[in-house]
Amino acid sequence: MTEVSIEKLTKDYGQGPAVNSISIKIAEGEFISLLGPSGCGKTTTLKMIAGFEDATEGAIRFDGRDVVHMPVEKRDIGMVFQNYALFPHMTVEKNLAFGLEMRKTPKDEIRTRIAKVLDMVQLTGYSERYPRQLSGGQQQRVALARALVIEPKILLLDEPLANLDAKLREEMRVFIRDLQRRVGITTVYVTHDQAEAMTMSDRVVVMFGGRIAQIGTPSDIYERPANLEVAEFVGQVNIIRGKVGNRVVSTAFGDVPVSGDFADGAELMLALRPEAVELLPVNSGATGASAKVLSSYYSGSLVDYRLELAGGTVVNVQTFPRTRFADGDEVLVHAPADRFWPLGSAA
Amino acid sequence: MNASAKKRIGPLLLIAPAAILLGVFLVLPYLNIVVMSFRMPGQGTPYGPGFTFGNYGKFFSDFFYVQQVINTLWIGFLTTFICLVLGYPVAWQLARGASAFRAFGYALVLSPLLVGIVIRSYGWTILLGNNGIINRTLTGWGLIDGPLPLMYNALGIIIALVHVFLPFMILPIMSAIQGIDPSLESAARSLGASKVTSFRRITLPLSLPGIQAGCILVFVLSLSAYVTPSLIGGLRVKTMAVTVVDALIDTFQWPFGSALALMLSVTGAIVVVIFGRLTVMKWKA
Repeated sequence: MTEVSIEKLTKDYGQGPAVNSISIKIAEGEFISLLGPSGCGKTTTLKMIAGFEDATEGAIRFDGRDVVHMPVEKRDIGMVFQNYALFPHMTVEKNLAFGLEMRKTPKDEIRTRIAKVLDMVQLTGYSERYPRQLSGGQQQRVALARALVIEPKILLLDEPLANLDAKLREEMRVFIRDLQRRVGITTVYVTHDQAEAMTMSDRVVVMFGGRIAQIGTPSDIYERPANLEVAEFVGQVNIIRGKVGNRVVSTAFGDVPVSGDFADGAELMLALRPEAVELLPVNSGATGASAKVLSSYYSGSLVDYRLELAGGTVVNVQTFPRTRFADGDEVLVHAPADRFWPLGSAA
Repeated sequence: MNASAKKRIGPLLLIAPAAILLGVFLVLPYLNIVVMSFRMPGQGTPYGPGFTFGNYGKFFSDFFYVQQVINTLWIGFLTTFICLVLGYPVAWQLARGASAFRAFGYALVLSPLLVGIVIRSYGWTILLGNNGIINRTLTGWGLIDGPLPLMYNALGIIIALVHVFLPFMILPIMSAIQGIDPSLESAARSLGASKVTSFRRITLPLSLPGIQAGCILVFVLSLSAYVTPSLIGGLRVKTMAVTVVDALIDTFQWPFGSALALMLSVTGAIVVVIFGRLTVMKWKA
């Protein structure tokens, strides 16, 4: 079990920093995701933790020990690559034995540990296969087993599910998360897929342009985004604008009380998630702003509506299809005040 | 004609030009050589009436010819080995090195092929001869007393052959290395392998298909090389190719020359097959 501490880490390839003075403290056994669009510096950060990239500045500490100048092979990491990077000329068994051979583990122990890890990834009986004889999901699990069998200090995963089809991807999310919990290994997971980051992580680090936009639990990130960029990157969001006056923002939904220091008269942006909005029939007698259904998309368990509020504000709403509304219907919309999250002043 | 028959004929039509070319200009002449090798030697004519095994008898009974096959194979082995040792690092650089170097490196690698073979071989005689540039320079500097024997021996032939055939080693290895996913080396490093170990356990074995192709190409080309060995080996060192031409043209013994030519082809083919068996790659589909 290892605690990882990243301090003011910077990588500059010579055209401005790709990673700009980021600091993250990762607790023992924690599963942390680096989430962001391509080019945000998440992969560069992972490569610096692994040792494939030199840090321009800053420190990376494993249990307090700075590893910045330590070569990859000495860092004792387990890494899973996006394309799995299984050795094509070696059987599954040889692939798994590789890291143990490098550590001069005795032959008997290698055998027992391989058997154990194959059982863990549910691939017992596949040890004599070559990688090309395995499906994508199986290759993925071998890659995971190969990284774990050496019992590394930390586990690094670089978009490991990007090459799998949707169904398998969801299975593997659960599989990896369960495995990580069982082993209790400190894990850094790089992804551009917010659903992956949300479902798997203890904490998510959202990165844009080489900087950390927000670090927090999945619910922090989703419900209390630090800024507009984070709010829009993680899930769908409606941005509701309104003027502040006397600690209240007047919006198309009505007056929303806000906590925090906002000057009277300032135009404020509020984040409102589509599923936070309730949709009611006009004749229900409930209170709410009236709106018109522009369009709806039914996807089985959920329905997505596009609504137009008075004043022309368009919002997306997601509901369970218990009550269905048709395009053109007049409806009432209501959202609890605590589901509006202030993002700061509108530019 | 139905659709499936059309489907089968399409590819056949595409390979037809090459197949006809090979058939008419390789297979038929080869068959002719096989027949010729069994003809009686002639008196003042290329060959006489009737057939015999005598040409092969002469080959096997005269150790001179067997020795020559062995010498030729040796020159082939050494040329191949030296090309491999010299070529692999270059191939690696071209495949993985900085891209600025690549275009220049490519031009350098191909440069031996841009000069005609006769001119190139004469060039080597100017460099390697007893009165050549290398010997005169070394003597001038007082490093040697007399000229080093660089020409009219196997050494000179090997030097010149390595020079010409190096690209045939480098290019296949380069393309094999380019085909190796660089993340495999990263994976090996992450598992605790040093750069050297990761090369030895991952990159080298995965470039084996390129090594195999390069070695076979260079070896076969070395065995059949004629101009370079005849100009640089002179009268003293003869490879089989030179002896075959001597028999056919100088002494006008078509049947015996044909038998010699076939013995060279057969031994070469046997070596290539054995080499292929030894380097078989189980992990490839």
